[in-house]
Amino acid sequence: MKHWFDLYAVLIRSSIQSRMQYRMNFVLGTLLASLIQIAEFLMIAIILNKFGAVKGWSLHEVGYLFAVMTLSKTLYRTFASDVHHLERYLTTGELDQLLTRPMPVLLALMSQNVRLMPAELLQGSAVLYWSLHGLMSAGQITWTAVPYTLLAIITGAVILFAIGLATAAVGFWMTRINELQTLTEDASQTAARYPLVLYPSWLRSFLLVAIPVGFVNYVPSLFILRGEYGPWLILAVALLAACVLGLALTFWKFGLSRYQSTGS
Amino acid sequence: MLYFTLASKAYARNLHYRGAHMLHNVASALFGYLYACIWIGIGQDHPLGEYGVHGMVGYIAFNQASLWVSGFVSNGLGIPQAVRTGQISLDLMRPVHLFVMCMCREWGQIAYQFVYKSVPIYLLYMLAFKLSLPTRPDTLLFAAVALAAAGYMSICINYMIGATSLWTTESSWLYWVNHALINLLAGFLIPVEWLPSWLQTVGWLSPYPYLLYVPTRIYMGYEQPGILLGSVAWCMLLTLLCLLVTAAVRRKVEVQGG
Amino acid sequence: MGAMIEVCGLHKQFRTPVVKEGRFAGIRTLFTREYRLKEAVKDISFTIQKGDFVGYIGPNGAGKSTTIKMLTGILHPSAGEVKINGVDPHKHRRRVAQKLGVVFGQRSQLWWDLPVKDSYDILAHMYRVAPAEKERRLAELGELLDLKEFWETPVRKLSLGQRMRADIAASLLHDPDVLFLDEPTIGLDVTAKRSIREFLKTLNGEFGKTILLTTHDMDDIEQLCRRVMVINHGELSYEGTIEHLRDKIGLPTVIRIVFRGSYRLPAQEGARMPLQLRLDGAEGEFRIIEASSSEVLIEANRQQAKAMDILRMVGGWGEIADIHMEEPDFEDIIHRVY
Repeated sequence: MKHWFDLYAVLIRSSIQSRMQYRMNFVLGTLLASLIQIAEFLMIAIILNKFGAVKGWSLHEVGYLFAVMTLSKTLYRTFASDVHHLERYLTTGELDQLLTRPMPVLLALMSQNVRLMPAELLQGSAVLYWSLHGLMSAGQITWTAVPYTLLAIITGAVILFAIGLATAAVGFWMTRINELQTLTEDASQTAARYPLVLYPSWLRSFLLVAIPVGFVNYVPSLFILRGEYGPWLILAVALLAACVLGLALTFWKFGLSRYQSTGS
Repeated sequence: MLYFTLASKAYARNLHYRGAHMLHNVASALFGYLYACIWIGIGQDHPLGEYGVHGMVGYIAFNQASLWVSGFVSNGLGIPQAVRTGQISLDLMRPVHLFVMCMCREWGQIAYQFVYKSVPIYLLYMLAFKLSLPTRPDTLLFAAVALAAAGYMSICINYMIGATSLWTTESSWLYWVNHALINLLAGFLIPVEWLPSWLQTVGWLSPYPYLLYVPTRIYMGYEQPGILLGSVAWCMLLTLLCLLVTAAVRRKVEVQGG
Repeated sequence: MGAMIEVCGLHKQFRTPVVKEGRFAGIRTLFTREYRLKEAVKDISFTIQKGDFVGYIGPNGAGKSTTIKMLTGILHPSAGEVKINGVDPHKHRRRVAQKLGVVFGQRSQLWWDLPVKDSYDILAHMYRVAPAEKERRLAELGELLDLKEFWETPVRKLSLGQRMRADIAASLLHDPDVLFLDEPTIGLDVTAKRSIREFLKTLNGEFGKTILLTTHDMDDIEQLCRRVMVINHGELSYEGTIEHLRDKIGLPTVIRIVFRGSYRLPAQEGARMPLQLRLDGAEGEFRIIEASSSEVLIEANRQQAKAMDILRMVGGWGEIADIHMEEPDFEDIIHRVY
């Protein structure tokens, strides 16, 4: 175990070193990414600022959902960047190279690249701080919300990782997975940035059962922001995250045994 | 004739992936559906101006479908890839203007997206939200003209984004910034008149409202065809810019020695 | 001496979805899944002994890469068994990977943007090579492969020959028993090829590594391998020594001879080509495949007729102005095997 951890650290360090050779690109990319991030939040902020609340969810609360989703996603995409880009490995045959290494393929894939995402991290943290601050001064929550939120962000990242992994594993059969990812990752994550009460029940169940993105931010927020259910809810979500991860890993292994390499 | 061939090849190339694209349409339709749900939610407690809840849903639906004409064109019209592979110097040697060539290709792409993405997505919304077509045929005609102009402007903008790839390797970021600006300033999620006044000012100084907001407003019968003059003016201005950019690209490639 | 690689009844089938044509083709392809089966490898069995140097050849698409991928544990066979030093690479991929060195000529396993030496540090971690051991091996490999000159250079800036040397060193860092080389000399110039071959010879001869080499370069095979296996259409069509292969198919050399002025063939006017001839005063025969007013094209099996004997005989027909010899083309040989 320690060996894998050390190895992961070594690989991540070299990935950052590689990336830093293109420093200018990194700086420019970060600046532009910040612009995108600001524009994204501005949209919903403008709407709620104009109309007050949506189905009983205030601007601060929606900001909270938005921020937790952004941070979980950032965590997932930072450390498992290339799981999301498996299609490239499948079409170019680069996966073969990883399979000749004496380490689990998933670990090899994850350590290929670490993607530093300061813009997303900053936007997420800023919106989270602003939401928590607003909700605290309104007396809706106390400081105990902070550790719960951190826990929710981590379990959320695990859930998003599991969804991403399971989607990627479909690639062992289909090779082309970008379209599927738009559905299971992009669209679903965007949907869960807003309170699920907005959606009709079929869509809500879809986002809780089929693609459990609702458990990243919405379900934890029911307890953290509104005191519904109880602290056990956070524990239950963590348990669920572990289960989903287990399922995704099993599916990944099964998919890997069906790997066909590129043509030839 | 050459222009038509270029366009039809780009159209035909996509036909292979129709299956995958249908899956993509589900995701794309879902995006619009989410935004419609937000407005339905807000509309429960607040009147939504001249649109009303049903109107806002129709507004979002038309925007989401139009996005495949004026929003999702190829990243930099494929120029960044041509720069990476060195194909660009060959393209510049051809007896056709680079801008015209890229544009024709992209019109094929847009035509495909209109038939296989915009139309099915909008039909889906018409069923799901019980939307109806405009009653007057000339409204439909003017909306089509506005949308075509929007497609053209988008082509111009992406041409310029593509051209920057000669100077920086990160032009894909500009593509995403362009997207963010479409979301915000083109009235994708929020009608432009509901933006804070400073953003409205910024918006109307840019071509972005003409990409989605104007075609949708015309389609819904809120605007007179006179507003199309704005579209035409922006089309001309952007064309001019593209021609200037091409000259710069030519110089740059010549300096690099092809 | 024991068996290092054992392959028994190996099969691999690929399933590729059939793409529908016509109306609604896209949607129909999405929902109905019909597959076309392609047999990439059919019932291959062989054994490679410890310390052997074996060439694995065949035309493109014959199943070479597929076999190598099954031996290294990248692909799961549809049927059959592989044992590398007694261990199944599919059930114990990581354990086998620890004992294997793999070089794909077309692709690098080094870190593109990092200096060469950094890649070795990472690989040493990955393969659990102790620091002292790593230093010792790198000193040795560095000497043999001349790595020092580009030690600090990022991999993306290496020449193809340098990159290949660096890649081979990388595959040896953990002292594997077996080395798989997939076209290691592809695209290299003559000098680079020579230095790689020298190194591989040492590796096999002095360090006793078992090596399986796939290549399109006939010289690689001739100079390095003791045994060859030929695969075509997924089946092994030949397995044995190089000498035996040569005897079996012959390696026809084409000799073009230009005469100064006229010449006379030892046959009637208008004889049909090709024309089979026996050597005078020596064993062997050769064939004339073309004859024009001042040129003759001769095809000869050099195992059967020495070039010198042929030239001596041809010299009697007229005054020779120029000679051009063409060694047999690899693809032709593969076709002959078949």
